[in-house]
Amino acid sequence: MTQITASLPSGLARIGRSLEMRMLGLALVIACGLSLLSPYFLTQNNIFNILDQSVVIGIVAVGMTFVILTGGIDLSVGSVAGLTGIVLGLALGELPIPLAILCAVAAGGVIGLCSGVLVAVFGLAPFVVTLGMMAIARSLAYIFSGQTAISSIPMGLSDIVYSTVLGIPANVLFLLALYALAWAYLTFSKGGRTIYAVGSNREAARAAGLNVLAYSVLPYVISGALAAVAITFSIAQILSADPLAGNQMELDAIAAVVIGGASLYGGRGSIIGTLIGVLIMVMIRNGLNLMGVSPFWQGTAIGSIIILALLAERLVNWRAAR
Amino acid sequence: MQHAPSLPEPSLPEADTAPALVASGIGKRFGSTQALANAALEVRAGEVHGLLGANGAGKSTLSRIISGHITRDEGSLSWRGRPLALRSTREALDMGIALVAQETSLAPDLSVLENIFLPELGRPGRLSYTGMRRRAQAILARLGREHALPLEAEVRGLSAAQRQLVEIAKALALDASLLIFDEPTASLSPSEVDRLFDIISRLRDDGRALIFVSHRLEEVFTITDRVTILREGRTVAASLPTAGLGQADIIRHMVGRELGAIYATPGPERPGEAGAMALEVRGLRAAPHVRDVSFSVRAGEILGLGGLVGAGRSEAAEAIFGLRRRDAGTIRISGREIAPRKPADAIRHGIGLVAEDRRAQNIVPDLTVRENLMLAHIGRHRGFGLGYGKRRARLAELLEKLGLPPNRLDASLLTFSGGMQQKVIIARWLLIDPAVLILDEPTKGVDIGTRSAIYRILREIADAGVAVVVISSDFEELLGVTERVVVMSDGISIADLPTAMLTEEKLTLLAAPRSSAGRTLAALEALVAEHGGSAFWALLEPGAEELICLGHVALPGAPDTGLSPGAAAHYADTGIPAALRAAAEGFVTEPGGHTSLVLPMRNARGHDLGHIGLTLPAGAPLPDAAELRARMEALTAPDPVSGDAP
Repeated sequence: MTQITASLPSGLARIGRSLEMRMLGLALVIACGLSLLSPYFLTQNNIFNILDQSVVIGIVAVGMTFVILTGGIDLSVGSVAGLTGIVLGLALGELPIPLAILCAVAAGGVIGLCSGVLVAVFGLAPFVVTLGMMAIARSLAYIFSGQTAISSIPMGLSDIVYSTVLGIPANVLFLLALYALAWAYLTFSKGGRTIYAVGSNREAARAAGLNVLAYSVLPYVISGALAAVAITFSIAQILSADPLAGNQMELDAIAAVVIGGASLYGGRGSIIGTLIGVLIMVMIRNGLNLMGVSPFWQGTAIGSIIILALLAERLVNWRAAR
Repeated sequence: MQHAPSLPEPSLPEADTAPALVASGIGKRFGSTQALANAALEVRAGEVHGLLGANGAGKSTLSRIISGHITRDEGSLSWRGRPLALRSTREALDMGIALVAQETSLAPDLSVLENIFLPELGRPGRLSYTGMRRRAQAILARLGREHALPLEAEVRGLSAAQRQLVEIAKALALDASLLIFDEPTASLSPSEVDRLFDIISRLRDDGRALIFVSHRLEEVFTITDRVTILREGRTVAASLPTAGLGQADIIRHMVGRELGAIYATPGPERPGEAGAMALEVRGLRAAPHVRDVSFSVRAGEILGLGGLVGAGRSEAAEAIFGLRRRDAGTIRISGREIAPRKPADAIRHGIGLVAEDRRAQNIVPDLTVRENLMLAHIGRHRGFGLGYGKRRARLAELLEKLGLPPNRLDASLLTFSGGMQQKVIIARWLLIDPAVLILDEPTKGVDIGTRSAIYRILREIADAGVAVVVISSDFEELLGVTERVVVMSDGISIADLPTAMLTEEKLTLLAAPRSSAGRTLAALEALVAEHGGSAFWALLEPGAEELICLGHVALPGAPDTGLSPGAAAHYADTGIPAALRAAAEGFVTEPGGHTSLVLPMRNARGHDLGHIGLTLPAGAPLPDAAELRARMEALTAPDPVSGDAP
């Protein structure tokens, strides 16, 4: 009956309707506002700064997107980052750098596998399972580290951050490559589409013969592994592995995914949206820093933006539904 | 509107009692479906009023309108002479109207006592648990069920019958004077049904008005005083006294045609067209809904799975498809036994299932039309990518055949009509070329135009060599589409007949759940064990000289009576025509030498429950006919209403 939008020249109409475009618009508005408020904001230096600050949270947000697309949530990413950072710090004392990183990433993946199996096979609530994992991982981080930061990190590790290709820092390149890869996977692979289908209607996905179990577990594995990757970049910058690292990282990651338009019920969202969500978060924090706003107020600002973004989205959907 | 019943007052001797509830001209539309159109109902205080109708006739909708669960689009309702405008169940409860629903509306974590007085929790002021307990005891005492309910127990742990009792007590706590029972016996055991009927008759004797919604004819005959029959949302028979009705009368009203014509069509065999056996199901059991289901379907054949809603057809399909745990039974695909534990297993063996609930079980709302079409392909696909390319030709062909617009493949499936959505889901399976396709209510929520397109598609895919199984509660559809129908009732496949031999009336008769079935079949076994020969249970149609056999037990070597369970036959085609014609006249010997006794079965109120027959070989000693008759009468005597329920 009411399919006016579908009969419009579909390209334009779809761009207008797509959530990413709206969020990109929001990001541009914020960027413009901040550049008016602070002349330093739009300098090349600061833009690299923003990208650099996006790397850690951006990597974690990719895993979080996968999990949220299936209708789950991963509260353990911050603690897993802390624990795998300690694993990396300890492993670097014994192993060459690449093997040490592999150890840390594998450890993150195994923790994710545990969460995923508990959620998908035993049907436990993702919120509770990953909350438990969060406590376990943080406590193990303290135990393995002996309650102090490991600062004997070899200088060589910082190459993964500070070497540049065509003037772009390696960590920013890695971030962009990761997003491209994740986007391609979610869009063009059987697994990616299965993740969407599982999140959108698990029963229908199962009845159509999709491998619901495997693709319910996989996102948690990815999320855990990427938490380890993220902390690796962080440690490479500050050359110290702190058991407290990654504290509250899950909140930033979930916020970025949600600002990027994903539905916490699953099935809806995109990796591009998440990237925009990450940039919005980092820009706001950066802009508030530039303007000298107290860090204590930044939580209020970020929180308000998350809620306003969701509210705006809900209002738009209500109108569309009518 | 006021209280002007638009229906002619039924000419009853007791019609001077003014009706307590009058509903007339009620209409209700859900989306594109007209659930009710000009439905009418009158209920008096102190009667049990049966509300009958086939699947989807609008019984539940009307009950829910009267109880304020949904609002009517048109028509008038009056209650005790005053117009009734209900906006919520709350208001209906305040007026004294309560629905005892199929799915109970109890809070499982609260105690029985709290549930009984749940409506009072919404009132201001403090609760007196002592007072509530005393009142609850009084209510249960009035129902004759003082010790049946532990008041402190959590409702979660109660049986279905106990929950129902809580619902009834809850209604009485509000002093409801009209209680609507919607399929109240669906999940009760026979003795629980007896107890419920005892409660219902006590409520009637209290002077309350009761509406009994059911499609179990035996129960309707047992408990109701008058019945109103709906067909396709209209009242087609208003307030008929139950005492003057027979099964045939009610079925005629429900279906809308004369019974006389039903055996007119002979059963032609389709010669030479039978393909290879595609799917064979034997003794399938998946507790609690599927008890014993057997059927088979050949390549190129459309088999119908008929029965009433709740007969276990969908559950049987789900068990075959690996969506439901099986407790027993074998499934064979092309002769090879399979044991699918998840849908992916069943799909690998070539089974496809278009499940009943489109929105919950078939559609993936956040994916596009194309991806919804390709979903089963994705499940089958081996490889990392999507592999859409290899299905491109088949997809184009299907879009063409199904009339789906190829330019809208990237739109959301939810923007399409129900019929289009259904076509997409069917196409999802056709894309991967199944050997067996099971469709559960394929035209539910589908407009008429698309319906015929779907029927055509079913025919085409069957002609292409697919074995098609159609589950439908719409008997007309079932008869129009299928070549053979397996009828299920209470989780058991009770009949397997060529469609050409069937009519809506016969299907309705066969599908009706019979609470007396277990008892009667046991009696047949006992008869044969004692006297030898064979025994049968059948519904006789003396005028037309035809019968439908409901049960048959034979010892080896018993004379051939030509009867088999679930089959219909002319008297002349059976081995015992003389005995059938002379039913209830004692032993009759056929020209072939064997002797039969045919006895009627009636319930305590004299309603026909069919006939039981015993056929003995020539020369066998004949038992005493009078004694047998007495035994049959004893079998059907216990009347749950007059008898003092345990």
